[in-house]
Amino acid sequence: MINTSKIRKDFPILDKKILNQKDLIYFDTAASAQKPELVISEMDNFYRQNYSNVSRGIHTLSVESTFAFEEARVKVQKFINASSEKEIIFTKSATESINLIAQTFAEKNINEGDEIVLTTMEHHSNLIPWFLVRDKYKCTIKFADIDKNGHIDKEHFASLLNDKTKIVAITHLSNVFGTETNSEILKLCNDRNIPVLLDGCQSAAHLDIDVQKLGCDFYVFSGHKLYGPSGIGILYGKEEILEQLPPYQGGGGMIADVTLDSATFTGLPAKYEAGTPPIVEAFGLGVAIDYVTEIGMNNINNHETELTKTALNEMMDLDFVEIYGTSSDKNSIISFNLENIHSHEVASFLDVEGVAIRAGHHCCQPLMKKLNVNSTSRMSFGIYNTADEIKVFINAIKKCRDFFKK
Amino acid sequence: MNDLLKELYQEIILDHGQEPRNFGTCENHNKSADGHNPLCGDKVHLSFYLDENDIINDIKFSGEGCAISIASASLMTEKLKGMKLSEAQSIFNDFTKLVKGDADTLEILNDEDSLYALKGVEAFPMRVKCATLAWHTFKSAVENK
Ligand SMILES: Cc1ncc(COP(=O)(O)O)c(C=O)c1O
Repeated sequence: MINTSKIRKDFPILDKKILNQKDLIYFDTAASAQKPELVISEMDNFYRQNYSNVSRGIHTLSVESTFAFEEARVKVQKFINASSEKEIIFTKSATESINLIAQTFAEKNINEGDEIVLTTMEHHSNLIPWFLVRDKYKCTIKFADIDKNGHIDKEHFASLLNDKTKIVAITHLSNVFGTETNSEILKLCNDRNIPVLLDGCQSAAHLDIDVQKLGCDFYVFSGHKLYGPSGIGILYGKEEILEQLPPYQGGGGMIADVTLDSATFTGLPAKYEAGTPPIVEAFGLGVAIDYVTEIGMNNINNHETELTKTALNEMMDLDFVEIYGTSSDKNSIISFNLENIHSHEVASFLDVEGVAIRAGHHCCQPLMKKLNVNSTSRMSFGIYNTADEIKVFINAIKKCRDFFKK
Repeated sequence: MNDLLKELYQEIILDHGQEPRNFGTCENHNKSADGHNPLCGDKVHLSFYLDENDIINDIKFSGEGCAISIASASLMTEKLKGMKLSEAQSIFNDFTKLVKGDADTLEILNDEDSLYALKGVEAFPMRVKCATLAWHTFKSAVENK
């Protein structure tokens, strides 16, 4: 069990009154999580006390910054149980992490006629980088089907794998359905020795992650969805694979020796961190990881799955609510539409009630097409949400239905 | 009920949102364009017939979207039908100001006008794009040769 009233006090923004009157109910954590006071104040303090560039100076501040930056890397390593901190690359976002892998992996491994396997529910961030690869290398992308709850169709997925499949890139927890990718899907890839990239943007904040147990070769996520700052992303990659891949961007910090004719590159992780990295953001992510680890990822997961169940049960009783995916293993994310009301209206209406939800296609246009909708509303939960907030939400959608009823 | 919502969803908006006027495609048209809001997926197709005197003779739209974007498109077609192109372009400018909270500087539109019903959008900055989608589509249709 987690102590929500104590946790809520850690988040200054929860004191905000929306439009000067309504208590904020933040149901948009899947888009970005709010930040605890600890993260805000420690980052502030870092700028005041320890800040300098990393890995290039001799002076005290440079040492302190470098130490804190590398300590954050070790925190991330432990958080997802990577076997070495060399496997943790700091980027600016999960999106950048996926682009990094798509481009470097393709350069080394993908030729005309090869195949990449994705699913039809991927976020644009896990689609477009592969589209760019397809255009450049003239390879093929195959899309695994999903069922109406957002589970990957195992048989269909298996049928797509063959000797030409060079990489599989799939979401770990769907940002539309909230359903988790079954470990059997990863096993199918492992059995055939096909590298797998897991998009962990949503799972990192809700599940206890162990990249070695998961059997993925790459795992990416963004700091801002894990109660950390924006501007920092993580790429985990197996050391033996990353070592074989070419550099991504060139610049300071990633070179061993430079002449005017050539350069040699440093080893991991610096090889993929050209230029001044997001120093304070990496540090802030480390603080956020300490914060959630202290609460316990399993406790967080239990709290959020309970909330999801409560909301799902209440919503399924309402005949004017259509829910996309109603399986009991949903975690923290519920996409829905109110009958005959566009998601924009729902979002504006709820906003005035103080409830922040997301409306639109959630960067999943192909999936929206498949669901045969133009857009959906999406509510998503974080550690600070409560069952009482769900009650307010349920009342608000009833009011919304009445307001727009002809 | 909250005043901001009442302002946003006036009777006329809900009415046009649910039963849009001039919905469809002009059988006989010489100008058309597609508008798309990539942020939310709303889509509009607009077609009209501009005669030799630069008068918008017939105008229709189709598409899918929220009440604000559909109502705005519907009201726009009502407003523009039979109007001279140059005047329509001035109204485009006025309308854009109106929904962005700049109603003090309007040149043609006034509060008697049906388009004024969309003034409530000014309190919802993220909805301005919904209200102006049809108008931007109109503009690109005019520019389409
Ligand atoms: C499943 C999934 N993948 C990728 C992303 C992209 O994350 P970011 O924009 O932080 O790079 C998101 C965030 O919206 C997501 O939910």
